[in-house]
Amino acid sequence: MTNGLEILAQTVVSGNLVLVHGLGLYALIRHTTNVKEAAKAGVTLLTAMLLGSVLLWLLGPIIPVAPAPQLGFYLLVGLVAGFTAPHILKQGQVSSLERRAVDSALVGLLLLMGRSGAAGVQNLWFALGAGLGYLIVLVVMATIRKRLELAPIPKALQGVPILLITVGLLAIALLGFRF
Amino acid sequence: MKQLWEGLFTKNPVLVLALGLVPAVAVTTTAMNGLALGIIAAILLVAAAIVNWVLAPHVPENAKLAVRMLVLILLVVAVYSLLLGRNPGLVASLGIFLPLLAVDELLLQAGGERRGFGEELLRACGQGLGFALVLVVLGVVREFLGMGSIFGRQIVTGSLAPLSLAGSVPGGMVILGLLMALVNLVTKRGGELHD
Repeated sequence: MTNGLEILAQTVVSGNLVLVHGLGLYALIRHTTNVKEAAKAGVTLLTAMLLGSVLLWLLGPIIPVAPAPQLGFYLLVGLVAGFTAPHILKQGQVSSLERRAVDSALVGLLLLMGRSGAAGVQNLWFALGAGLGYLIVLVVMATIRKRLELAPIPKALQGVPILLITVGLLAIALLGFRF
Repeated sequence: MKQLWEGLFTKNPVLVLALGLVPAVAVTTTAMNGLALGIIAAILLVAAAIVNWVLAPHVPENAKLAVRMLVLILLVVAVYSLLLGRNPGLVASLGIFLPLLAVDELLLQAGGERRGFGEELLRACGQGLGFALVLVVLGVVREFLGMGSIFGRQIVTGSLAPLSLAGSVPGGMVILGLLMALVNLVTKRGGELHD
């Protein structure tokens, strides 16, 4: 259990997918216009990550050993998990909904899990921590974005540039936990 | 030629459309990494556009995204396999970000809209070159700030300490944000997201 909690803490904070690995920036830019949308995107991806980790756990014995087929396997698991998660959450057929789940954060997590050599229940802890970390960042960014709308930002910095700079500063603050 | 120009500058995938941000932030720690991933992504983008253009009339509307993803997975695995045999060092230095091109939003929209073949090809070439250009520029800036070198050649010598943060992901986010702002300043844009 302690090991699981360590993995959880590590993936939420010091190994955060967005702030430390730079993954999931597409969702961060597009799905943080309000807190509700951000939370929905975060929960969808958390579900997809958990589903992906369960699939890896179940399919563990048949994961190919050769690098290229193994890579294809992880990408396919990501695709299946990403397309299935919105249906599990009964979110219906909203346009581009699937895109919300098949994201670099999901596939990146699966690839990182493959590299770390984690297996079985450890994968679940990894996925839970990574998904929670991702959800927290999306909600925090949606909240900050609301405040940024009221701030006197120079025109050239408005929109994506100030968002990236803000995420970068958040990430720098988080780096403090790694030392 | 309009499509080529748009992809390179006026509708640059990274700086204007905010696509492909993950490789732009995570991989461009050195100019060589930026150049390598930029070239690979450009080749994949053109190949995906061609395959998707050929397949598009035969694929039902609700399966188009899944098919485009499968095409991209196959192309990425093929390129990965090829590179692994010829240049394993490069594959190692690009890490998970070479495989992640399979879910990159820039590459996923290749061949997504019905256009003429020539137009689609030029558009893909323009976007691929525009993407590679930004990755190289980011790589040069980050390598210079982070290590005082460009393409491995030491430029800054002496006691001036490099900004090691420029080589990290947070540094990459800040530098990309500032580069976007600079482009907005020059083109007198800003505030809007061009999808």
